[in-house]
Amino acid sequence: MTNTVGQSRLASLVVALVVALAIVVVLFPFLWIFLASIKPASVVALPDVWTFSPTARNWNDVLLGSDVPKNILNSLIVSVVTVSVALFTGAPAAYSFSRYKTGAGFRFTILAAEMMPPAILILPLFLILYQLGLIDSLMGVILAHLTFVVPVITWFLIGFFDDVPRELEDQAMIDGYTRFQAFYKVILPAIRPGIAAAAVFGFVLSWNDMFYALILTGGESKTLPVAIAGFWTFRGIDMGKMAVAILIAVVPILIVSFFIQKHLVRGLGGGAVKF
Amino acid sequence: MSLRYRLILPLTLLLAAVMAYPLVFSAWISLHDYRLTRLYDVRFRGLDNYLYIFGDAPFLKAMTNTLMFVAGAVSLELVLGLGLALLLQRLVRFQNFARAVLLAPMFITPIAVGLMFRFMLSSELGVIPHYLRLMGLGVDWFSADLALFSLMLIDAWQWTPFMLLMFLAGLEALPRSPFEAAKVDGASPWMTFWHVTLPMLRPVILVALIIRALDAFKVFEYVYAITRGGPGDATEVILFHIYKTGFRFFRMGEAAAMAFILIAITLVLVVILYSAMQRK
Amino acid sequence: MNRLCKWSLTTLMTGTAAVMISGASLAAELNIIIEEVPDYDIVKKLTEKFEAANPDIKVNFDAMPFDAMRDKILTSSLAPSATYDVIIVDNPWMEEFSRAGYLTPLDDFIKADEGYKYDDFIKAVADVGVVDGKTYGVPYYNYALGLIVRQDIFDDKGIEVPTTLEDYVSVVKELTTDDFYGAAMQPQKGYKIMEEWKNWLYAEGGELFDENGEVIINNDAAVKALDMYIDTYNTAAPKNSLNWGFDEALRAVSSGKAATMLSYNWMLPTLNAKGGMSGDLAGKFKLYEVPGGKAALGAWFWGIPANAEDKDAAWKFVSWITSPEVAKERVIAGGAPVRTSVINDKDVWEKGFGKDYYTTLQGILEDAAPLATGPHAEELIEIVGTELSAAVSGQKTVKEALDAAANGVKRTQ
Repeated sequence: MTNTVGQSRLASLVVALVVALAIVVVLFPFLWIFLASIKPASVVALPDVWTFSPTARNWNDVLLGSDVPKNILNSLIVSVVTVSVALFTGAPAAYSFSRYKTGAGFRFTILAAEMMPPAILILPLFLILYQLGLIDSLMGVILAHLTFVVPVITWFLIGFFDDVPRELEDQAMIDGYTRFQAFYKVILPAIRPGIAAAAVFGFVLSWNDMFYALILTGGESKTLPVAIAGFWTFRGIDMGKMAVAILIAVVPILIVSFFIQKHLVRGLGGGAVKF
Repeated sequence: MSLRYRLILPLTLLLAAVMAYPLVFSAWISLHDYRLTRLYDVRFRGLDNYLYIFGDAPFLKAMTNTLMFVAGAVSLELVLGLGLALLLQRLVRFQNFARAVLLAPMFITPIAVGLMFRFMLSSELGVIPHYLRLMGLGVDWFSADLALFSLMLIDAWQWTPFMLLMFLAGLEALPRSPFEAAKVDGASPWMTFWHVTLPMLRPVILVALIIRALDAFKVFEYVYAITRGGPGDATEVILFHIYKTGFRFFRMGEAAAMAFILIAITLVLVVILYSAMQRK
Repeated sequence: MNRLCKWSLTTLMTGTAAVMISGASLAAELNIIIEEVPDYDIVKKLTEKFEAANPDIKVNFDAMPFDAMRDKILTSSLAPSATYDVIIVDNPWMEEFSRAGYLTPLDDFIKADEGYKYDDFIKAVADVGVVDGKTYGVPYYNYALGLIVRQDIFDDKGIEVPTTLEDYVSVVKELTTDDFYGAAMQPQKGYKIMEEWKNWLYAEGGELFDENGEVIINNDAAVKALDMYIDTYNTAAPKNSLNWGFDEALRAVSSGKAATMLSYNWMLPTLNAKGGMSGDLAGKFKLYEVPGGKAALGAWFWGIPANAEDKDAAWKFVSWITSPEVAKERVIAGGAPVRTSVINDKDVWEKGFGKDYYTTLQGILEDAAPLATGPHAEELIEIVGTELSAAVSGQKTVKEALDAAANGVKRTQ
């Protein structure tokens, strides 16, 4: 609030009203989808029904009588494994980029990798995975997700490493640590919030992907976003059930993302912008 | 090997395996008549795929649509994001709450966003057209003229929060003194914004624009969920076109060539955008 | 990671494993890819009987939406060991998959199978499964297009249900008022508009190719058919329905907003079901042949991949599910018929949806031609379907759109 100039009550009110309107625009779709998930089948397709006797039928059908729980598990496995691999490979590299200013070329490569359109990778990935017998496997989706999660997480961490004062590391080495020990015993713990934010952000990216998963998965390894798309079928949209699946995919992500909002900007800047 | 390179080694190996090798393979595919249904008969075509695509009306249309979508959606998000950031900064109470809510859409899976809006904007079952009709406005959101614009609006719903996030941080980091000086000089809020805030925000705007634009080139889910590229080819975007060519028609060679052309075009745009912003 | 690989490897290897374990007892596990449609529910139920009669064979269905099927079938077919032992093939894919060598010729199986009565399949349908003289698919169910009308409205107004396209156009215009429409249409790009407009094209005497294989999708007949289609969309179809597919059109008819639609013949029972989607309107719908009489034919076929492990077990299932006896049970349960004997069975009439329906259906099927043929039919449908949609939405003139469609089709050949 550095540049807030004194404003009149009227101005404050106008600001509050506009922000409130924006909040309504953001929240309304969630509200409508939630209502759709508890509406009886007879009124779900009617655009003007606000009062009805709620039913848990859609929730029951989806949670107990469909493949959605399996899709959730698939999505979870894919996201967690992808993020773990990305952290193990990305964190040391990001440290190296940050501390040694290792070749601008490398840094640029990471950025270029982050920008790579999926269209160019999906064709060869599909063919390679087919040759490896990994179509319709979680392994295949994980490999595909690594292509965008690894660069993002690495880029993300560079910014956080840049913020660690050099003295911290020098002190550790005076205390008898080797440089590598200093890295994982002193520096890594120092940027723990940054790592957590990077991990959550990578998780969100992987969890939300539909493009790769649509092409690479089948009945066995289908992830949640692909399953959601499948509710729009030949028989028509089963709106109620689709609403449930959407909420299941969205709500947990909203909750975890809430905790990383603060760190997101630092990470996305990746050392390219100083705020 | 020194530590600095040992630290990079795992990443280098991983990216070589999952990115560099596929890229080279993709380049090889783009030079061949590579069809999934004729794997026994893959013929070298040289640059024919590329030459063909440059004269292919559906590809050019998809590229035009994508460029329009990127330009439209990203500028919309830039303006809305900047406006909201300035407003939010002046919000007296509930600032943290408002920020948390307003940022929410950028975290959710785009296919869910697409399906939500398909449902809400449907001319028959949609809640939005229904109430617009009651107000006397019959809008066909997915007509040939409006469909691409509607997709931009949906994109803006989801990604304006990203701009907001960047600009809020940018505004918070601005030094105080130029604003105080402007106040002493009796500058109007508009002049302060135009001559002080905006120039100082330029680096943030540049980064936000580039990240968003590159991301907007990947638009797929809204099209997949709602229009399938229609009516006609009004919303056929490049990623959807490549998906169809490669995985519905199995013409992998042409699809790969399209992807490389896409990369070239995005790179050119990034360079133009970057140098334009630097020069000012 | 090992555990993760296993998830997929189990699927990939069930075939192999089953064969290895079996050795002595000839046990088999059949993985079948299938589309999630009403007919699948019936097939799934019936299969319980098959498994009871064949305890050594286990059947697993991998049901998925249409969009997901094509590349899954393809990957399975490319792999050294098939994921799927039995697949279903949509009629536009028949030549493509057969020519690519993905499918096993079934002629020897059919010949050796006594009582199978292959000739009993309705010829127009069965012929789609024959490519270059070999039978690669046997019919699963048909989705030929018919004209579904609100009989009560026609009766009240004393209007005859039209049999020519010209009459149809003038009747639906006449029925249209401010909030009621003569025809619910499905001009969505791709398959949907193609399924609908192809009937108009036939009514005007047009086709995709002439007898020499030349593309004639932009000749005078096609121009006239598209002109009429667009005129009807603008004057007699619900407003803002440019992106409507089958689903939205059906909802308009079932909720009493429209009097007619061209749709899959087997939607009639769904519309007429008591307590179903039509509410009080149930029972008021009737099926006719499409105006002009020649319908666009869609059909699904059972096929056995060339790389399937146990083709004998696969044929055992395919032959069983399509046999005259089981086909009859399937149709009585609501499935779409493909056998002449079943359509003419009194038992089917009584337990099913009445003689009228099946007689009309037979009329439709006898004079129906496939939606699209050739090794690139999928792409052809998409190309033509896109141009048609561009013409209906006003992005292109009729002639421009059809010329572009013709060029696109030529290029795929």
